[in-house]
Amino acid sequence: MRPGLALLRTTTFRLAIVQAGVVLLFVVALLLYVYFATAGQLIRDSDVLADQEYSALERAYNEGGMRRLNQEVVERAARQGALLYMLAESNGAVISGDFRQLPAVPADAAERIDFHFERVDEAGAVIRGRARGKVGRLLNGPILLVARDLGDTALIAGRITRVLWTVAIVGIILSIASGLLAAAQAARRAEDLADTARAVMAGDLKRRAPIRGAGDEFDALAAAMNGMLDRIEQLMHTTRNAGDAIAHDLRSPLTRFRQKLEAALDAAPNSDADRDALRNAAEEADRLVETFSAVLKLARVEGAGNWRMQRVDATTMLRELIEFYEPVAEEKGQTLRGDVEDDLFVRGEPGLLAQAASNLIENAIKYTQDGGELELRAVRRADGRIEISVADNGPGIAPVDRDRVVERFVRLESARSSPGVGLGLSLVAAVARLHQGGLHLRDGLGDETHKGLAVALVLPALQGART
Amino acid sequence: MRVLLVEDDADMAKSIESALVADEHSVEIANDGESGEAKALEGGYDVIVLDRMLPKRLGVSVVKNLRDQGVSTPVLILSALHDEDHRVEGLNAGANDYLGKPFSTRELLARVRSLWHGRDRTPQTRLSVGDLEMDLLARTVKRSGKKLDLQPREFRLLEYLMRHSGQTVTRKMLLENVWDYHFDPQTNVIDVHISRLRSKIDRDFPQSLLHTVRGSGYRLEA
Repeated sequence: MRPGLALLRTTTFRLAIVQAGVVLLFVVALLLYVYFATAGQLIRDSDVLADQEYSALERAYNEGGMRRLNQEVVERAARQGALLYMLAESNGAVISGDFRQLPAVPADAAERIDFHFERVDEAGAVIRGRARGKVGRLLNGPILLVARDLGDTALIAGRITRVLWTVAIVGIILSIASGLLAAAQAARRAEDLADTARAVMAGDLKRRAPIRGAGDEFDALAAAMNGMLDRIEQLMHTTRNAGDAIAHDLRSPLTRFRQKLEAALDAAPNSDADRDALRNAAEEADRLVETFSAVLKLARVEGAGNWRMQRVDATTMLRELIEFYEPVAEEKGQTLRGDVEDDLFVRGEPGLLAQAASNLIENAIKYTQDGGELELRAVRRADGRIEISVADNGPGIAPVDRDRVVERFVRLESARSSPGVGLGLSLVAAVARLHQGGLHLRDGLGDETHKGLAVALVLPALQGART
Repeated sequence: MRVLLVEDDADMAKSIESALVADEHSVEIANDGESGEAKALEGGYDVIVLDRMLPKRLGVSVVKNLRDQGVSTPVLILSALHDEDHRVEGLNAGANDYLGKPFSTRELLARVRSLWHGRDRTPQTRLSVGDLEMDLLARTVKRSGKKLDLQPREFRLLEYLMRHSGQTVTRKMLLENVWDYHFDPQTNVIDVHISRLRSKIDRDFPQSLLHTVRGSGYRLEA
């Protein structure tokens, strides 16, 4: 995953995008509001102005007749204000004013009019524009038009709109930028926490999450996580101490017990029955010791502990194990094939890895019928990880039981007759976890009815191993 | 041979002592690290058997001190902690062998004998047991003058047996010294390797050299 892309997937960045969307919506709403508030007000103001002017001119007509009205219109039109005038005869012929023709012939009552015009000013330039005002027939038919040029209003509205758009674009850019910044910041803090968790999982129990001292939610999370890790470390410590103490306290008596049985055997018991009983007891003692050692070892592997990890040549190790076990398989008439790629290196604890691989091979030999087929494959997968798998064409394990067999002391009914205590796969799984790897069970080399079993140990490849 | 046993557990010491005495060794017991080290410095022992967890001074420091003062008596460490790390730590301190508890008496006796026999091994280029001869330089094995064809690992197995001829070697010793594996196989893999080797060196000859020692291991002897 590319880091840039990862950043775009963070929650914080998604929130920033939502935030940018909200800003955009708000700006559009504001734009509409401001436009209608300002431009609308200007129009209303100009309507009032036009109405007052119309009334004033109507009064002048009523008092002084057509002559007075015409004089007023010519005078006012010459003033070059925002208001425009026109006087026409009842048939629409223009008498005086700013326009050369009537935009509309009104009905009897005065009415509101909104129109586009084209006129020529004193300098002879053609002015096009939009105007809004009042038009109506006066007594005896002449038509009077008073309108206000909307040019200024449109200009103001346009300016407001431009300002708002600028604000919107800057706002969106700022919110995306701050979102990315916050996302990067949050991603870094989250990555710190994840790093800590991964280090602890890899066995570094002393590792703690950094606290920046900002007192923010990440600090609170880091502090809570550190508290949890303290507790885990303490529990692990207690468990390990208990384990070591048990190891020391029980192994010595077990050793003495076994030695006494041997001494009794060496002292030549009277009857064969005594001899057998003693021998059986010694074997049971051995089994007890074996189980006990396996549990302690498993606990130590699961507890991560201070294993000395080093570069392990998995290719050589596995080829030697195949050579080691090949004769045992042959005794059972089985064929043990090896297909191990060259130059497979992993970082790990050589003793544990050898034991894990050996457990897989021994399980396959034990549970596969005489004459069966076994195959150990070790490959570098496309994702760079190294997969060590042992497949057989034995009875296999039903998919529903596959998760269970990895648990401690779980032995399937079908395996009851074979020796062992049911810790083999648990140890392999623990070794896999210790190496940040995984253990997977799937169908093996069998056919449709007898699927066999394949157990795969997947380990991270050593960085820079390919030289 | 004279064995110095440094063990704080009186019961355990007694039981090991009686096993060693039965195997015709003379045994001196020290019950803590300090007195064990002092006795070892006086000298006169062929093998030292040292518990790892000792009062007053740990087994590993005792070995280190002895080696620092030029005492080269072979040392076998006994330990309830027989993880790889502890084993390596013990061997690095200068111990010659490391045995995890619990162990069988036979394992202990086999290892004590093996330590004593191997104490001043001069480099050899030829080994022989009866009419079986091994040339370590040419990497050939002959029996009664007839060349035997061995795989490299079979050669190493036979070499180990020949170097310890006349002694009982346990399966664990073979596993550790021939294959360098420190886990217990759940299969009879060592027995299978031995029987393969046996079919090569003994089958066509009237006298068997590779003997099974019941309950202990194997012995190569003419």
